[in-house]
Amino acid sequence: MTPHGQDPRDVFERLFRGESAVRMVRSGTPEFGSDLALAPVDFDPGDTIPKVQRLFMARSAQMAVVAAHGAIRSAGLLVEHRGPRDAGVYVGCALGGAETIQEGYRTYYDRKSRRYKPSTVPMIMANAAASHISMTYEVQGPAHTYSIACSSSTVAIGEAFRAIRDGYLEVALAGGTEAMLNDGSVAAWERLGVLASEHPEGVHVSSRPFDAERTGFVLGEGAAILVIESEDRASARGASPVAEIVGYGSSSDAHNLIEPLADGQVRAMRDGLLDSGIDPGEVGYINAHATGTPTGDPVEIDAIKRVFGAHAQRLAVSSTKSMHGHLVGAAGAVECAITALALSEGRIPPTAHLTTPDPACDLDCVPGVGRELPALAVAMSNSFAFGGSNASLVLRKA
Amino acid sequence: MSSYPFLAEVLAEKYDVEAQAISPDATMAELGLDSLTLIELLFDLEDEFGIEFPEERATFSTLGEAAAVIDDLVRAKEPTG
Repeated sequence: MTPHGQDPRDVFERLFRGESAVRMVRSGTPEFGSDLALAPVDFDPGDTIPKVQRLFMARSAQMAVVAAHGAIRSAGLLVEHRGPRDAGVYVGCALGGAETIQEGYRTYYDRKSRRYKPSTVPMIMANAAASHISMTYEVQGPAHTYSIACSSSTVAIGEAFRAIRDGYLEVALAGGTEAMLNDGSVAAWERLGVLASEHPEGVHVSSRPFDAERTGFVLGEGAAILVIESEDRASARGASPVAEIVGYGSSSDAHNLIEPLADGQVRAMRDGLLDSGIDPGEVGYINAHATGTPTGDPVEIDAIKRVFGAHAQRLAVSSTKSMHGHLVGAAGAVECAITALALSEGRIPPTAHLTTPDPACDLDCVPGVGRELPALAVAMSNSFAFGGSNASLVLRKA
Repeated sequence: MSSYPFLAEVLAEKYDVEAQAISPDATMAELGLDSLTLIELLFDLEDEFGIEFPEERATFSTLGEAAAVIDDLVRAKEPTG
């Protein structure tokens, strides 16, 4: 469920070609709102969620349920509308029902009324998406939510991976969801000064990680859910995995709320590699966190150089946020899925619109369009959050 | 029961209750309404009829009873001259 559409292979194709889903979105409050470059999802829950259910679900929960449906079905685990009963649900979500919070405040402050929609609380809560996945597909393992800003869903996937590897679970539905492109939330992001301004060549090229002309990130929305299954169970039922998760590392900067620190990122990547037991020299591709802010991107490049040493010069590093924007709590899940598809297809997606590389971002950042990389065997996906929480996943070709 | 037609309509349109299940004798449980849905429904009815359900009158077993309570509350707020 991404700004590029719903079908994973389709989305990957479009990303491979360097197509941007960023567009100018008109503010819903013309009196004082501003039009902004955003990456919205063209979302219609269709028949997947009955009309009456939608009354009690915020957009983030709806997108998560539809994404989960696609994941369970394509894994061959959907039986009469039910998923695997013993599965765990691990969902990353930074904010929850953002538009419901806004509507509630409108009622209170604008209409001077205490008549909130009665279901406001269960719609706002960040764990609503995980609960709805569990209820909709009758999945009865733990349903956990990780709210760690931009690292939320990388952590969710990493923790699900650990639960399976450590024998607590056989299968998990893991990923993330985020929908906060409502005016009230977007205005708060604008004020933080981290959003990209419209590029003179067009709004679609406004997200420019690693480029000298980058001005910030483009806020996006979406949801991605992955089915993660133990090797034993997957092979016993003859499943064909897209890729294998082999390592997970997480760390905290203990430094600053919004300013990243290479030391913390280095620890997350190193821990992920150590966890995987794979030699850093085998990593061929990194899907970077790189959001396109002037300060953030060079810090990650520096951290990659410190982790990989001379091998950093041989690595391909790209930021697909150049095309789908920054999905915050869903970012890690979407990017982990893209990384898994890159391994499966032996092709890596580019950093689009990278025309004037920043000298401080002097690695191979795959500018413009994707690249065939048939020998790709190991890849990494990074997420580094506000609050200084870092997470890295290591994936291997299945 | 002047409020009944609206009640029947909102159940069918907004809450996706099957038309043949809706009758004055139908209980809330038969209609498949859980507690959260019921609270939302009461909220809609209060908005529509400009009434407020006192706590002791916000429970009823059948649709017919619900309509009677609404009609009562509507009558009570009309000016008695």
